[in-house]
Amino acid sequence: MKKIINLDINGQSQEVAVGPHHTLLQVLRDELGLLGTKKGCDTGGCGCCTVLVDGKAMYSCMIFAMAAQGKKITTVEGLTENATLDPVQQAFIETGAVQCGYCTCGMIMTAKAYLSSNSSHVPSDLEARQAIAGNLCRCTGYQKIVDAIRLAAGRRIVASSEKG
Amino acid sequence: MSETSIIGTSVLRPDAYDKVTGGKGFPVNVRLPGMLHAKLLRSPYPHARILRIDTSKAERLSGVRAVLVPSEVPKKKFHPVFFSPGMAASMIPDMLILSDTVRFAGEPVAAVAATSPEIAEEALDLIHVDYEQLPFVLDPEDTMKAGAPQIHPHAPNNIAMAPSFAFGDLEKGFEEADYIFENTYQTQRVHTCYMEPRVCVVDSDTFGNLTVWSSTQSLFGLREKLASALDIAVSKVRVVRPPYIGGGFGGKLDIGFIEPISALLSMKTHRPVRIEHTRYEDFITTARNPFKVVLKTGVKKDGTFVARSAKSILDTGAHATHGAVVLMVHGMYGFLLPYRCPNSKWEGFTVYTNNMIGGGFRGYGVPQAAFAVESQIDEICEKLQLDPIEFRLKNSHSEGQPHPFDPSFKLDTYRFADCLQQGAAQIGWSNGRSKGKGTGTKKRGIGLACQPLWVSGCIGFPDIYEHSGAVIKLNTDGTADLSMATIDMGSGQTTTLTQIAAAELGVPAEAVRMTYADTETVPFDAPSHASRVTYSAGNAAKVAAGAAKKRLLEVAGPMLKTTPDNLETGGGRVYVKGAPDRSLPIADVVKQAESPYVRMVPDGMQKTSLQEKGTVMGIASLAPAANPSPATAEFVEVEVDTETGEVKVLRVVYAHDIGRVINPAGAEGQVEGGFQQGMGYALMENLVFDQENGACLAADFLSYKMPTAVEMPPEIKSIFIESNEPTGPFGAKSLSEPCAIVPAPAIANAIYDAIGVRIRELPITPEKILAALGKLSE
Repeated sequence: MKKIINLDINGQSQEVAVGPHHTLLQVLRDELGLLGTKKGCDTGGCGCCTVLVDGKAMYSCMIFAMAAQGKKITTVEGLTENATLDPVQQAFIETGAVQCGYCTCGMIMTAKAYLSSNSSHVPSDLEARQAIAGNLCRCTGYQKIVDAIRLAAGRRIVASSEKG
Repeated sequence: MSETSIIGTSVLRPDAYDKVTGGKGFPVNVRLPGMLHAKLLRSPYPHARILRIDTSKAERLSGVRAVLVPSEVPKKKFHPVFFSPGMAASMIPDMLILSDTVRFAGEPVAAVAATSPEIAEEALDLIHVDYEQLPFVLDPEDTMKAGAPQIHPHAPNNIAMAPSFAFGDLEKGFEEADYIFENTYQTQRVHTCYMEPRVCVVDSDTFGNLTVWSSTQSLFGLREKLASALDIAVSKVRVVRPPYIGGGFGGKLDIGFIEPISALLSMKTHRPVRIEHTRYEDFITTARNPFKVVLKTGVKKDGTFVARSAKSILDTGAHATHGAVVLMVHGMYGFLLPYRCPNSKWEGFTVYTNNMIGGGFRGYGVPQAAFAVESQIDEICEKLQLDPIEFRLKNSHSEGQPHPFDPSFKLDTYRFADCLQQGAAQIGWSNGRSKGKGTGTKKRGIGLACQPLWVSGCIGFPDIYEHSGAVIKLNTDGTADLSMATIDMGSGQTTTLTQIAAAELGVPAEAVRMTYADTETVPFDAPSHASRVTYSAGNAAKVAAGAAKKRLLEVAGPMLKTTPDNLETGGGRVYVKGAPDRSLPIADVVKQAESPYVRMVPDGMQKTSLQEKGTVMGIASLAPAANPSPATAEFVEVEVDTETGEVKVLRVVYAHDIGRVINPAGAEGQVEGGFQQGMGYALMENLVFDQENGACLAADFLSYKMPTAVEMPPEIKSIFIESNEPTGPFGAKSLSEPCAIVPAPAIANAIYDAIGVRIRELPITPEKILAALGKLSE
């Protein structure tokens, strides 16, 4: 049986009808048309569907929509303000971290969460790698993604742009 | 702006902005009004006959719009892989869209279209199927034995294809050899792991015309094969080019079951029908075929090959799909062609089993061969105390020689020796190698592997169609729209092709946009496969842009009061050669071409010339002129923990001769991603099946382990040895596949260098290393 709930998505309250088995991923994509969040496996194994839940990177395929009530959800669509890219998005473009792009939005959300909570220093190569260990990419070998995360951190604008 | 400021520059990908902000252009995002969702019922048994299917309960479920069963599909068998229009001999038609005999666990037996995926899924549980289970066989050698279950009536002993090639006198060659080596090498089944699942939406009209959106690597291939499966004319099928797909790597070259099933359900319901694979369905739909290779090599004391023979067995699973062609490429480009040997013989077997079907995967049969060939070369060098670099150079081809595959082509640009020498210098080969370097239980070693010869597309291959086409149209603002059927899998084909077209036209790279295409609006293009796009499709983009430029100069001639041959373009302008101050913006020339024949000016009416009228555009449809070979050498340093058996790759150096580099950052991306796939193949990835019932045991990313960022080495160094290939667009050849071919043997050779243990079976897991070190007790 579906129930009407309100979800706080990208700073807006959204009313949606969901069943108890619907995941946040399903609601984002199929009900709200937020297609930036991708389904790669639907079993918590690839990270393509990563969104921010109260500022933490989480797999949206592993969260029931009903359990997301009262939490602040940020999807990739919520990162860009007035057509200005988030520094992480900008760095992904510049370093060549984007190939097929299917993992990209989830990867960016994970990087965003990591940099927001580790804003005081530029992560080492290993720290950046550990930060994205829950996100798979089959195109890039991760090297340019690591470059992008370190570039964004190095620009020291992460803290000021945190939207949590 | 000169051509040199675009070619060889890491211009930013035109698709990157959309991909970091949401990525709308993926086929998985296609939604149509009234669209239905379909799900497939799959067999739990590896081999069974369907006695009866009862769909009555499913049909009564609210929201179900149609059910499809085997009796409703065309009876003509098809082959799902496209290489040439029509059916080539190597394309074995052994599939039905739905069959009443299932030949692998997971083969579809019925489908349901409903108003939501959940209802379709629920309806599957209401379909009752009576199966008669049949004896099955999963082992590729058992399957050829007398008494094995017969999988297809057309293939005695379950042999789908058994080609062989020989030249010279093998017996005499082995007699002349000072040493003979014979070893067996085995590789496992691995998945391409594209991140976007296979997905399609098929719509139909009342005349039976179909429009298809799909995560495909081949626009025209999908049209041809879907028409073939449905037994309808190709002109009934329109395939829309997806702006991008979420990876392919060869895994989206064939039509899946999903496109023909969606088509039939759409024709039944008169609604668009969408099918999206679950990750489990993806895992059992395409794979790199497992191989067993028995390799026998005779050499002189100095390391010269005098006789080589190989026998390769490929497990193609329940249907031939790519299996027959993968086997041929394996034999030719994996074994016979890369090195010189006067006496050689290769025989191959593509065999049916009740395993899942195979598919294309970057390297297409050659990673399996390179693992054998490049491992054994190091074994020979170890025994004869020869340097592996010198050994390879002694037996390789050299620049200027006829191409060994087709002597009508020459190895005009071929810098294999430079690859070996520059890669060796970068890794520190001469003093870096020695067994067991390192402290305590962790030992370091360095290894190398090569793919001396490769392709830039398939021109010259039997039965393979290799044309590309392009349409380019200039806009009145000085930009250009390029329209091609070429699929960008993610590797940056769109970037490269727009760069090439811009350089030829004389406009900035960002002034050329890749735009809409479908099979009704653009010329044929072969699939995005065989490392072919930069070279083959690049030539088409260049020729089309050249034709548009010619027209541009014809219109500009009278405007600049000179003849077209006195004009040149650059930086978005047309200018007089030697007098760059006499110039016009390209936009003005395009406007002139599209302006009225008679214009009103202050003095009255003014006629212009008829010749200049008409949109400035160019088209091309052509086969590439040659098949130039790139060359690849890879060096890796590993650390092996002799207590745990764990292998860590510490450093990687690739040296490639790929002709001229069009986009250095894009090229590096190919190398780095290729290593991830190759390292996964070498050390961890394995699609494992239950030998009791044929069920896939690694059907999600929690059990199928591919490398994460943490397992990857901290740096992969790319060296590009640039040559100027005369037949390539701006001197380019190709790159992609060798990047994924060489890692497994390079890592195996480095492991040997570290701990003196030779593993001849992939993946090289900690268990195999500990067992080889004698550290595993019963």
